[in-house]
Amino acid sequence: MDNLEAKLFRKLETEEKNDEFIAVESQTFLQAAMKNFLHNKRALAGAIILVIVILLAIFGPMISPYSYETMDTTLKNASPSSAHWFGTDKFGRDIFVRILYGARISLMVGLVAAIINLVIGTVYGGISGYIGGKTDMLMMRIVDIIYSVPAMLYIVLIMLIFGASVTSVMIGISISSWIDMARIVRQEVRSLKEQEFAMAAFVIGASGKRILFKHLLVNTVGQIIVTVTLMVPQAIFTEAWLSFLGVGISAPLASWGTLAQDARALIEIFPMQTAYPMLAICITIFAFNFVGEGLGTALDPKAKR
Amino acid sequence: MNEKPLLELNNLSKIFPVKGGKKVHAVNNVSLTLNKGETLGIVGESGCGKSTMGRTILKIYEPTSGQILFHGEDITKLSRKQMLPYRKKMQMIFQDPYASLNPRFTIGDIIEEPMIIHKIGTPEERKAKVQDLIETVGLKPDHIRRYPHEFSGGQRQRIGIARTLTLQPDFIVCDEPISALDVSIQAQIINLLEKIQRETGISYLFIAHDLGMVHHISHKIGVMYLGNLVEYGSSDDIYKSPLHPYTKALISAAPIPDPNQSRAKSRIILEGEVPSPLNPPPGCAFAGRCAYATEECRREKPEMVDFEGRKVACFLYKAGKKVK
Repeated sequence: MDNLEAKLFRKLETEEKNDEFIAVESQTFLQAAMKNFLHNKRALAGAIILVIVILLAIFGPMISPYSYETMDTTLKNASPSSAHWFGTDKFGRDIFVRILYGARISLMVGLVAAIINLVIGTVYGGISGYIGGKTDMLMMRIVDIIYSVPAMLYIVLIMLIFGASVTSVMIGISISSWIDMARIVRQEVRSLKEQEFAMAAFVIGASGKRILFKHLLVNTVGQIIVTVTLMVPQAIFTEAWLSFLGVGISAPLASWGTLAQDARALIEIFPMQTAYPMLAICITIFAFNFVGEGLGTALDPKAKR
Repeated sequence: MNEKPLLELNNLSKIFPVKGGKKVHAVNNVSLTLNKGETLGIVGESGCGKSTMGRTILKIYEPTSGQILFHGEDITKLSRKQMLPYRKKMQMIFQDPYASLNPRFTIGDIIEEPMIIHKIGTPEERKAKVQDLIETVGLKPDHIRRYPHEFSGGQRQRIGIARTLTLQPDFIVCDEPISALDVSIQAQIINLLEKIQRETGISYLFIAHDLGMVHHISHKIGVMYLGNLVEYGSSDDIYKSPLHPYTKALISAAPIPDPNQSRAKSRIILEGEVPSPLNPPPGCAFAGRCAYATEECRREKPEMVDFEGRKVACFLYKAGKKVK
């Protein structure tokens, strides 16, 4: 290495000075994920169905000439017609409008439960994973205790205390389901905090709060979004099941579960009355699952773009 | 000589507790000094505690015992809050340029963040400073809005260097900053580090396992084996006439570019394995693999002694004279 002579070197040509140039358009993480998602046909179909369901739930009842509680005693258990698309029920109420109203309640229960899970689960899991040690141990044992009691028990107890309302159903569903989110986030944070960029943030003097929220949790956004998307159908399902059993939302309000429950008595004579709300549940849950799955691949940093 | 050294370690130890009540002695009673504007190279094989030592100095890990003096002030026991003013003065360049940059931050955000944390300057001043730094490390101004995954390893390492320079530190721990890079890129990064040192008088603690590179960049070298510092002295002394048997073996293992010279050279081949730090032998850690080991070596731990202007921990040398 001692015999380096000047003639071994030459000046850079003008075009070589541009060697550091990056030709590709810059893409943020979310732009790239969005592109990937839109190329996934199943996920896209799911998303379109969801948008339609949500729009129908919001605007359908406004446009419809019928209300969800007006009874028309002259027209009980009517078959589908141009006036009543899905027919009428045993009190002569329009089933289509009731299903749209049911969509409002079912979707709201799903979304609110998912948001509660998101906030509590992310913060709890994030703190537990970041602090680690004894605090983590204690926080995770608390979670284990909450988890060891069947979710059904919480829901029934809350119903007993607060009465059977939409709010108590939402609280009941949320009370134990945030735990999955907390566990997922904790696991992610625990592995991310050992990465060198977290250490780099520590060395430049970032506070614990800053490292957790700005450096670690941002990097779990993918998992968080996927988990939330998959929690919505879970909550919708639980609510429908509760209402079908008769412990959920009570008349005249109707969720999809309540509608199915109401029609159950006549299932042998008018099976379609039970089938409509069930189909609505099926389609919505499928759509959510497709979207969740699509987001999962789109947001996975290891997946090929 | 009245000036205090920039960094002084006195018997620094870091012990990690492991499950089952055992302990890993990652860093064992290390004493070192680093002067202003100098580079101290730390070499040793993988797992010998060099990175742990670097991280302990920056208090990423809490030291178990011993003392860290920075500008003569004891920072060993300072809390995270109390450390804040010192953080501006001591920084770190990381080993893996792919893991050390937050993938969700733009390059501009990464370089600006230290100034935001320490509340330095107005947003405009900070932007201007980021521009400056980007150019100092040889990147283009339009790279500021891009994300780390769009850059190569060498470019990322330069981004990492720009981040450490944001706060104008006077001490940087370089934790194997070049070992993850191609050989051609390694030289670029080394040249950049040297240029920065010439211009700002910064001090480096340069951790690596490539002795040739460490010899090139360092003023002093410390050789570590299993958490212990075994030899410490000026870079040329250690490279040209190593004292400790382990240093001798390390130097003889370094490749020489000239094949004729390389063939002529005799290599010391080490037998055996590095003992587990979980259960270190009672005497000299190197005794099991050392050709000169005696009963004394296996029984007692050699102290650091001064020998021909450097320090060495081996029973072959007693203060000032060679024994055997």
